[in-house]
Amino acid sequence: MSAAQAMPGSNPAALARWRQARRRGHMAVLAVTSLLLALSVWAVQGSVIPGTDWRRMGGFAEVVTGFGRFLPPDPTLLPTLFEPAVQTILIAIIGTLLGAVMSLPVAVLGAANLRPLGMPGYLLARGLMTMSRSIHEIVWALIFVSAVGLGAFAGILALACRSVGFVSKLLAEAIERIDMRPVEAMKAQGARPLDMVRHAIVPQLLPIGLGTLIFEWDINVNRAAVLGLVGAGGLGLTFHNQLIASNYAGVTTVLLTILAIILVGEAISVRLRRRLV
Amino acid sequence: MSSTNTLMVLQKRRRRSLLRFLLLLALGAGLWLTLQYLNVRLERFATLFDRLGTLLATRYYPPDFEYIMRPRFLQSVLETIHMALLATLAGLLLAIPLAWLAAFNASPLPGVGKSAARVFITGARAIHEMIWAIVFIMVLGFGVLPGVLALTLGCIGFAGKLFVEEIESIDDAPVEAMRAAGAGPLAVFFFGVLPQVRTAFIGIGIYTWDVVFRSATVVGFFGAGGMGWYLRRTADQLQSDRVAAIILLIAALVVISEVISHHARTALEGRTGQRVLAR
Repeated sequence: MSAAQAMPGSNPAALARWRQARRRGHMAVLAVTSLLLALSVWAVQGSVIPGTDWRRMGGFAEVVTGFGRFLPPDPTLLPTLFEPAVQTILIAIIGTLLGAVMSLPVAVLGAANLRPLGMPGYLLARGLMTMSRSIHEIVWALIFVSAVGLGAFAGILALACRSVGFVSKLLAEAIERIDMRPVEAMKAQGARPLDMVRHAIVPQLLPIGLGTLIFEWDINVNRAAVLGLVGAGGLGLTFHNQLIASNYAGVTTVLLTILAIILVGEAISVRLRRRLV
Repeated sequence: MSSTNTLMVLQKRRRRSLLRFLLLLALGAGLWLTLQYLNVRLERFATLFDRLGTLLATRYYPPDFEYIMRPRFLQSVLETIHMALLATLAGLLLAIPLAWLAAFNASPLPGVGKSAARVFITGARAIHEMIWAIVFIMVLGFGVLPGVLALTLGCIGFAGKLFVEEIESIDDAPVEAMRAAGAGPLAVFFFGVLPQVRTAFIGIGIYTWDVVFRSATVVGFFGAGGMGWYLRRTADQLQSDRVAAIILLIAALVVISEVISHHARTALEGRTGQRVLAR
């Protein structure tokens, strides 16, 4: 990929090298493109063509009318959306907070420079991080619905478990990058370990941690909306009800409400993070 | 330092700690009220681990590995990979021009086009891909195509935002020089913008593959193709040993895919000498 370099001027040997590198770059792009093309053809032929209900879908006109049924949104639904929206937001907040609390020990155990419990603790923490991220929120919700029953509690637990991976990974990285000079300065003054954590370590981690939390809350609103589909209440439940009633316009209203919540949340989080960092 | 000064500092500190205490109290009260409102019974939390433990030990264990070796299930795994592949490719191909339109410093249509592209990316991102999948199923029926479309939207939302951030942080000098020399918007994009973000885009693309693949394993939960459907079916029929096997398989596949993409990103970093986004 050296084509981005400037063309050498008069030196003929350099010019030849440059041309060769450029040709090699083109060959690489061509190879990657044809590989991706071949993979897509394989995927379309292997799955999309046999795996889609073409007869149910009908022609182009039917698809267009199908999407047309979602418009215009149904404004009469709006007053009933207030309470589920509040529930979704609160589930996201509590789930994120619980996830943050759970992330703290995982991050400390999984920080490569600390390893307070040695290698086994480190591996356990890293395994938990991967597990938390690779299990989808729907699956977490299924597990917790079967443990604590339907309701917001299952959703909160699912969100918390899903958040642990991302939050603790970033936190562990922040711990690994910590500037040790303030810690050593305090140690030289004879400070107690707890004071060292309080005054030399926490201030370094707080901005990153809070920024990650705000970011994660944003995603968790989006996730909370889907958890209602498997019984965790909130907007997902309303969506489900509109779906069962085949009220396409109502579905659009619910989607727009979720979008509005996310937009407001993003505006707030951008402002908050700018103040933090 | 005079003694009045010390006194003032102490007083200030006491006032601040009082304020902090009140804030903490308010937060605690808010938390308690919220839990009441959401009908969360905290006493269930105490028995949670007990119940979860017995649940995992008696119902989810041992996982039914025979189930996930059946040819029909393996076929659905292949379908999942196909869906993730197509959605990632289509999503990235669509996200690049959208990000170009949406970036405030490089957009060829700074008015309506920019706002429209921004709304599109944010909308694709705000709605969960599972919900997109259901919407597409409502129109197109059950099958792979709605799943691919939903994942594509998810990919656009995810990669699009990162692409926009990347374009917005480029060095504007070459872009402005090209514009001043009379280059058209396409030329500016391909020779002024793209060379600056190419490495980052490839890194983001690899990372996006991970995210899309992870969603693809469950997007079929409501009938949008892939192995998610089997998860739904076994969960509905309370065949928890099979659910456990499927969950373990998903985790293993995700880890394999993450290892591969991690190596790809490291190789890219080694080749270009640039730091590639890594999360």
